[in-house]
Amino acid sequence: MSQTQEASVTPLFAADDVINQLATITADTKVGALRTHRSEVARYAEGSYYALFEPDDFGNVSRIDRDLIALRVAALTESHPLITWHQERLRHAGVAEAVLTAVKSNPHAAQLSLRQQALLSHVDRLTNAPATATAAHIAKLTAVGLTPRDIVVISQLTAFLSFQLRTLVGLRVLAEEE
Amino acid sequence: MPTRRPFTLDLVLWQPWLPTVDEVDATPEQQALVNEVAPSPTGRPYYALLAHEPLALRERTALMKAAMYSQGGATRADRELAAVAASRANGCVHCASVHARLYAQLTKDDATIRLLLDEGVDTPLGDHERAVVDYAVKLSLTPATVTAQDVAPLRRVGLSDLAILDLTHVIGMFNWANQLFLTLGEVAPEPGATGHA
Repeated sequence: MSQTQEASVTPLFAADDVINQLATITADTKVGALRTHRSEVARYAEGSYYALFEPDDFGNVSRIDRDLIALRVAALTESHPLITWHQERLRHAGVAEAVLTAVKSNPHAAQLSLRQQALLSHVDRLTNAPATATAAHIAKLTAVGLTPRDIVVISQLTAFLSFQLRTLVGLRVLAEEE
Repeated sequence: MPTRRPFTLDLVLWQPWLPTVDEVDATPEQQALVNEVAPSPTGRPYYALLAHEPLALRERTALMKAAMYSQGGATRADRELAAVAASRANGCVHCASVHARLYAQLTKDDATIRLLLDEGVDTPLGDHERAVVDYAVKLSLTPATVTAQDVAPLRRVGLSDLAILDLTHVIGMFNWANQLFLTLGEVAPEPGATGHA
């Protein structure tokens, strides 16, 4: 890839950003060089991750809620690096193994609150069948106390993951070809 | 499955199911952000809804711009084609309409993209377009099953590693956009439609 070596690229992101950690990419590989060449994408993907998972103000959607949503998306899409990542964050926050198992296997399990069940059901719809959504599904979220801002946050989280996990798939395939 | 307006190259209007910041006393920061990122008055409600969480909207808008317009790598037309294919596969009439028009402008050809909208992602295409559409559809619908075999057709039509990464980013961004447009609101009915199309 002479193309990636010719360009002088201002480093806009750290070589140990979240996507490189998830994909186990280092800067000295072909795929690492490609990511450096697309440093604006890397920079704003990282910015999006922090805006959604480590905001200054969590509002009504806690860090644990956010990681539970992410774990559900990761399980539905069989994204193993993301399963590991969000399970570790949840364990670090003291979440019980039974809850982690429930989130991965059954979003209606008794270990989950009704609010969590409503959140995760919506996450399933976004991830697997977004075209089936109606205003009635939004009403189910407002019925468990979620505000418009909360609903925007959980939608952005879920949809960000759909970008991140597909980026990881593409990077994995490009790395496999080396 | 809710009744939807059919896929079209025409301009479609999207309306949110939740109040936007315009309707609930936007802060000066939210107002300024929406003014900055909304492309037109008709496109404003989507951005004004996402502005409930300003930083996420700001980062996402910059990310979309970087994915669609970075120099080199995938052509602008291939990026728009991948956006349309992902949107067509996911059922997002709004996103498909916007990016089909951009593809038609870039290629000076609206027949190909019209077929993709009307007949779906399996419509007959040239080898180049077929390779882009197939990758976009598979990465959208069954990402866990994508392997090196799925990028081989892209290489056969001359795409570089960088171009393949560019298309990957675009497809990821359109899965993101499709999920938001499909689950936070709906496309307005066609003017004059009877409602049971």
